[in-house]
Amino acid sequence: MSDYKYEEKEDFAGRKVKVLGPTYEEGKPEDRGDWRSKLGSREDALRYIRTAMRYWYSKEWYGSEKRKQEA
Amino acid sequence: MPDEKIRSIDKATLKLLEKAEKEKIGTVFSRADEIKPCPIGVEESCCKVCAMGPCRLPRSKKGEAKERVGVCGATIETIVARNFARKVAAGAASHSDHAREVVHTFIKTARGEAQGFAIKDEMKLLAVALDFGIAIEGREIKDIAMELGEKALKEFGKQDGELVYIGKAPLKRQELWKRLGVTPRGIDREVVEIMHRTHMGVDQDYKHLLLHAARTALADGWGGSMISTDLQDIMFGTPVPVLGSINLGVLKEDHVNVVVHGHEPLLPELLVVASRDPEVRKMTEDAGAKGINLAGMCCSANEVLMRHGIPCAGNFLQQELALITGAVELMTVDVQCEMQGLKNVAECFHTRLITTSDRAMIEGATHVEFHPEHGLDTAKKILKMAIENYPNRRHAVYIPDESRDMVAGFSHETINYLLGGLFRASYRPLNDNIMNGRIRGVAGVVGCNNVRTPHDSAHIAMIKELIRNDVLVLTTGCAAMACGKEGLLTPEAAKLYAGSGLAEVCEAVGIPPVLHLGSCVDNSRILMAATAMVKEGGLGDDLSDLPAAGAAPEWMSEKAIAIGQYFVASGVFTVFGTTWPTSGSEKVTRHLFEEYEELYKGMWAYEPDPVEAAQLMIRHIDKKRRALGIDKARDRVLFDMAMRRALD
Repeated sequence: MSDYKYEEKEDFAGRKVKVLGPTYEEGKPEDRGDWRSKLGSREDALRYIRTAMRYWYSKEWYGSEKRKQEA
Repeated sequence: MPDEKIRSIDKATLKLLEKAEKEKIGTVFSRADEIKPCPIGVEESCCKVCAMGPCRLPRSKKGEAKERVGVCGATIETIVARNFARKVAAGAASHSDHAREVVHTFIKTARGEAQGFAIKDEMKLLAVALDFGIAIEGREIKDIAMELGEKALKEFGKQDGELVYIGKAPLKRQELWKRLGVTPRGIDREVVEIMHRTHMGVDQDYKHLLLHAARTALADGWGGSMISTDLQDIMFGTPVPVLGSINLGVLKEDHVNVVVHGHEPLLPELLVVASRDPEVRKMTEDAGAKGINLAGMCCSANEVLMRHGIPCAGNFLQQELALITGAVELMTVDVQCEMQGLKNVAECFHTRLITTSDRAMIEGATHVEFHPEHGLDTAKKILKMAIENYPNRRHAVYIPDESRDMVAGFSHETINYLLGGLFRASYRPLNDNIMNGRIRGVAGVVGCNNVRTPHDSAHIAMIKELIRNDVLVLTTGCAAMACGKEGLLTPEAAKLYAGSGLAEVCEAVGIPPVLHLGSCVDNSRILMAATAMVKEGGLGDDLSDLPAAGAAPEWMSEKAIAIGQYFVASGVFTVFGTTWPTSGSEKVTRHLFEEYEELYKGMWAYEPDPVEAAQLMIRHIDKKRRALGIDKARDRVLFDMAMRRALD
């Protein structure tokens, strides 16, 4: 938390307030943004498939196609 | 140069064209000056499917309305539709034969018979196995992969039923395809049937021919291309954001430069592995080079860029120019978009041109055939040939300075993740921002370069116009590379080029306003992203309801026609530039441009001016926004109980 930079700005009432500045790291990324490696086990992967990729893999969630008969 | 016309908007390209001219080396640009497009062929008013012709049936120059029929009586409508359908067949066959090669390698990988290959992305394997109805509980990865490979292979020769991936499309779209009778069966079957129907004296109703063209194109987009993408992801990893660099300036004078060109990522993946081999590195040092510099060209470039951050030397029209630097020791080519002219250019320098596919040789090139059983050995052999060639440089090397950073790797899975993280991965934030108007809509801008349009100019003009008007752009293929060279594939581009609404969203998520989704088979990723938007809810219940459009402003190949046709048959308004291949028949063109909207709720358009084409897309997006009732900002009203009762 101590690394965060704050900027002083005025709020709607004209009072000085501290707001959190940019939180991204300077420079260019050297590694790939490999988010998939965070899902270590097969159980984690399957849970992610059935929730995050619910559009195709959840049996309980149909979004815009709810209550429709299968084609 | 023979005239003052603009060749390219890319400085590196212009510098090397100047060098080519000084050294009297022929390129696609100089050949295009010498060969003007055939005026009859350009409108596809020529039939050569039998030996009673060829029958040339141009429009009357005096504007007389006369009946145009061939010797057999085939009408101009039949002839133009047949030519169009054959382009679709060739394009679908190309993507799908690529897929077949991938499936064969995938099966060998599952059996442990493919040297250097592995199943790298188990999560994607599980997801695709579920698509194919494969039991995964308690089974080993190898067994699941084996069954998946065998089932995927059957998709090519399926005689009845429908392709597995059709089940991933929105339900309403599936119903529409069924109603029209265009749900694709086996991929090979649909291609063969086009060749049969377009034979002399078979299908002679242009609307009927074009129905089957749609069915074949769908077998590409929702079949061959999708299989390629998914199985490549399983073997090599689903793309995640990665920093790369692009343009001819990525070549290095003091390195052994190896350019991988073509489309199938099988050998290029192993070249990446082999370039890190200690023996190969030692050999490179012994040759006096500082290292091996692998660089990509065309869609092979997109594949290794997305998964490894390997630099990209350029797109289609830059393939000969890479060799004109005099710095390329070796170029490998596999299939698709490789100009035979490469051989002549390579001969002007020390460059070795290596063909690697058993389906594609170039006269005079060296053939080193790739087989997955000893793929890594082949990759090492090729790199050794390049290293041995390093001392043979006989010209002064000239590498232009131009190269730029870019971020690639936006698979539809990664977009889903970026919009919500592991816990809330979702397309909801995108849909919400389309509904609230910060993002006006989404456009897929894809396709080739065409020497008849100033290189990269139409891609860039169109895409800048789109993002300036708050349209998020998804891009693939040579279009994506044009964007990389222009600096549109970095998050900073949002501030520079995007409208305020789109820029705000890009800044919040940390993404560029133009997302690089991969190679030309990866247009299937655009279909999946669009399907996720539909299924998420709030933007209608079919792909044709989305405020979205597609374009290929510099198209050149038959693959582009197949891609456009499956976009349109999937419900997407799609605009092509440069030229239009049914202009020989008003009826066929009207059918594709107007009557298709009734059939597919998506249609073709042709507009050579890229900014005007972007405006056509924006007008279509606005039409869809109106239909969805999201065209005007509305005050948020909190309903009390009385108001809710009044709703009934």
